[in-house]
Amino acid sequence: METNWAEENLKTIRTLMERSAIYRRALAPIMIFAGLMGTAAAGVGFLSHSDSMRAFCALWLGTAATAVAGSFLIARQQAMKDKEAFWSPPTRRVAQALSAPLGVGLFVGVWFGAGHESPSLLAVFWILFYGCALHAAGFFTPRGVRWLGWVFIAGASVLVFLHQVGNDLQYNSHLLMGFFFGVLHLTYGAYLYLTEKRKNAA
Amino acid sequence: MNPEPFLQLDRVIHEKGRLAIMSMLAASPELSFTELRDALGMTDGNLTTHIRALQEEGYLSVAKSYQNNRPLTTCSLTAPGRKAFAEYINLLEQIVRQNKPI
Repeated sequence: METNWAEENLKTIRTLMERSAIYRRALAPIMIFAGLMGTAAAGVGFLSHSDSMRAFCALWLGTAATAVAGSFLIARQQAMKDKEAFWSPPTRRVAQALSAPLGVGLFVGVWFGAGHESPSLLAVFWILFYGCALHAAGFFTPRGVRWLGWVFIAGASVLVFLHQVGNDLQYNSHLLMGFFFGVLHLTYGAYLYLTEKRKNAA
Repeated sequence: MNPEPFLQLDRVIHEKGRLAIMSMLAASPELSFTELRDALGMTDGNLTTHIRALQEEGYLSVAKSYQNNRPLTTCSLTAPGRKAFAEYINLLEQIVRQNKPI
């Protein structure tokens, strides 16, 4: 009796289960792209002193929309290149997991934009909701995405706490957004490029 | 070598196509017929035959509905199906362990 067929079968099962459950497509380029967008937006916002709530919301919501559209195109391009279905079960589950926290974040943005002067707390809420979105999506992606979500959630929680204990806390909201949405995405993207040797198939 | 675990392997699951279907469904709450067909590169007829075999064994349930006015067939593992799949994996692992040189 062949001795390695059982091992081969187990490998095949693992591969099929991963293909069915885990989203891997183009994660590294998507993270790098989102990081570059975040860093560029922070630079533009900081240098142009766009500190009013309206300017802050317009800049960052525009950046988010561009990042989402760009990520969509990157994922679609890779799917087409690999002759795979774009709207695969893992892609669908990741989109569903992201939709609720990102939708609430958008709602909070509009609500804050209408009634508040300073964008500093809005930046913290956006970081928090984005962290929740990454954490939810992380159940259908490699584990690192969930950890990245925790970094966003922990960072936002610390900032909320500091807001509570010291009202005179001063920071530039654009630089804060740039660190979380720019530097952290770039760092995770670089980590994926260096560590993910396998093909990013969904 | 002890042939016991090999003899216990579920013959219904052990077939290549059915094992692939069970593996995909074990990692996902449900998958549509089209998703399974495209992911596994099977023909409609082949997939239907395997699904029917698994359904007759009580390992798989099939639900028919409509999405955007088009019929949608979704498959999911039943509780006995999950149990049988877990047992199958355990037996494979047992076979691998007993074949490893000490």
